[in-house]
Amino acid sequence: MIIAEVIFILVILLTAAGTLLTVLSTSLIYALIGLVATMFGIACLYVYLNAPFLATVQILIYVGAISILIAFAIMLAGPYSRRPKEWTTVTKFSAALFVSLSSFAIIVKIVSLAFPVNGKTAAMALSTKDIGRSLFDTFTLPFELISLLIVVSIIGAIMLALFSKGEK
Amino acid sequence: MGLLYDNLHVYLFLSLFLLAAGILGILYRKTLIGMLISVELMMNGAGLNFVALNRFVAPENPSGMTFTLFIMGIAAAEAAIALSIIILIFRRYRHIDGEELKEMKD
Repeated sequence: MIIAEVIFILVILLTAAGTLLTVLSTSLIYALIGLVATMFGIACLYVYLNAPFLATVQILIYVGAISILIAFAIMLAGPYSRRPKEWTTVTKFSAALFVSLSSFAIIVKIVSLAFPVNGKTAAMALSTKDIGRSLFDTFTLPFELISLLIVVSIIGAIMLALFSKGEK
Repeated sequence: MGLLYDNLHVYLFLSLFLLAAGILGILYRKTLIGMLISVELMMNGAGLNFVALNRFVAPENPSGMTFTLFIMGIAAAEAAIALSIIILIFRRYRHIDGEELKEMKD
């Protein structure tokens, strides 16, 4: 029990540190490394939430596919010296910080009003079989629409890359 | 107060932290790829929120987990399109600075 608690706290710290690295680092590659750490921490949290299938899918799609895609884009988008500096003016950063913190405060209020701390939670007995049944039973139309969306986006990306004019 | 990982608020506050960090990043990042990374951060927070609420508030049906799967699919499609547009912008203008793209503004 205590070991699980300690690992949970470490996972939370990993996720928070990855988030801060993602947002505050000046280099895009470091931001990508922070993003991978955050996604990995969230996969561990899915294990704690009794959803091991989602943890697997999270590592497969986010850590495996999307981060590699972003890494390719960073590599393709020119050398580091020609990229603009990530840090903007102090005014813009403080304005962004103000918006972020005020939304944080507002949603903290909503969360603590809407979900009061309750006592014992029920044990969850959902398996991957239930997720599959819900996916192909209740949510059949959204599932098919998602597959259509992915096909359209892949074809659109290829068309954008192939038939576009070059340098102006 | 039970164990820390049996507590809904821990997950909700972590996903809220992800959301606030994503808003901060998308507002002050200059490059388009940085903004895209911040959007991915916010989507991760939303997925964590869905699964945590499914686990603690409605543990009898798996709708939250299914919605997280949908979020992952949409995030994959969105990342593919956005990155191809970013590569296109880089090929055309030789930079990916979000502030310099103002042709449609004037």
